[in-house]
Amino acid sequence: MRLRRTKLYLPGNNPNMLLRGHLFNPDGVILDLEDAVAMSEKDAARILVRDVLKKSDFGDCEVTVRINGMDTDLWKVDIETVVPCGIDGIRIPKVEDPKDIVLMDEALSQIESKAKIPVGRTLIFCLLETALGVWRAFDIARASKRVAAICPGGEDLRADLKTTRSENSEELIGPRRMIVLAAHAAGVDALDTVYADITDDAGLRRETEWVKQLGFQGKSVIHPNQISIIHDVFTPTAREVEQAQKIVEAAAEAAARGLGAVQVDGKMVDKPVVKRAEYTLQRAGMKAGGEKR
Amino acid sequence: MKTAQAGTLESMDCIVTVTETEKGRGISISMEGASIVRFGEAMLKATKDTLKSLGVRDISVSIQDNGAGDLVLKARVEAAVRRLAEVKAA
Repeated sequence: MRLRRTKLYLPGNNPNMLLRGHLFNPDGVILDLEDAVAMSEKDAARILVRDVLKKSDFGDCEVTVRINGMDTDLWKVDIETVVPCGIDGIRIPKVEDPKDIVLMDEALSQIESKAKIPVGRTLIFCLLETALGVWRAFDIARASKRVAAICPGGEDLRADLKTTRSENSEELIGPRRMIVLAAHAAGVDALDTVYADITDDAGLRRETEWVKQLGFQGKSVIHPNQISIIHDVFTPTAREVEQAQKIVEAAAEAAARGLGAVQVDGKMVDKPVVKRAEYTLQRAGMKAGGEKR
Repeated sequence: MKTAQAGTLESMDCIVTVTETEKGRGISISMEGASIVRFGEAMLKATKDTLKSLGVRDISVSIQDNGAGDLVLKARVEAAVRRLAEVKAA
């Protein structure tokens, strides 16, 4: 299971951030060729991102590139430029149609094949930033084996829903729930949108705890200072890990003895609790498994 | 003479300005910035290598540096040269 607690956006035309972003230890970085880059700078950003991808060592970070939308004439040259660099995945904005994911899958396969990269290596992360995209979340998540996660939009989605940002983002409750449901039904990760107020640590923690409770596996990040708070929320505590180990060990022992029932600390434990304990250990990096990619 | 530019003066970046020159005039490079004293030679080599890989033989290059390393400098030179080609083709 790949941890995706935090994915830090790095503006594609900003050398300082592109070269230093991973040093803040997010689980992943998103080199952004879309909204963070002015239209007049798309060409220069693409060259810079390509060279950073070729020459930089991102350590254990999952490296993805947010390309320009498939409703523009930029996305093809974006993927032709960055995919041969051997990135982990691309993030596609404003996905609305599963057919676009099929088209992208084919385009990626061609590029990978030409660049002698294992076909299928480049994962797809789908940003669902419109009502239609959220409505079709399950079909989009199942449109290609490459899809690793689906993610709700923030401001774009609010605009499409003809609403505005409220203090507790109540307007996004429905879309977030739909995306969690679709993601887990499809066997991919649900990754939440950014928390825009980079000065409000308490608000970030509150929102992160809430989306974790909904079933998200992580959040996108726009400032390095947000990383430690989100990691803290998504990382199991020592006590949770200890209890999970007890449950998993008891379940394994019971299975070895041919017993169906499991007892931990004198209490009967059923299968869903064992499954949750296994997931806790996966999140703590102590057990393989989890979502398919 | 047609000109094109790429980059910024943000930290770890540079502005590269390229100007077309007459055929046969060769390559001329000027640089300014705090790092020039220590890294001027390396920057000169990085710029020349990039121009060579792009097949450029005649051009004037001006670099205003704010701590760009080789990687960023090369990317900015390439972007500026490609922009100049577009300007010339237009």
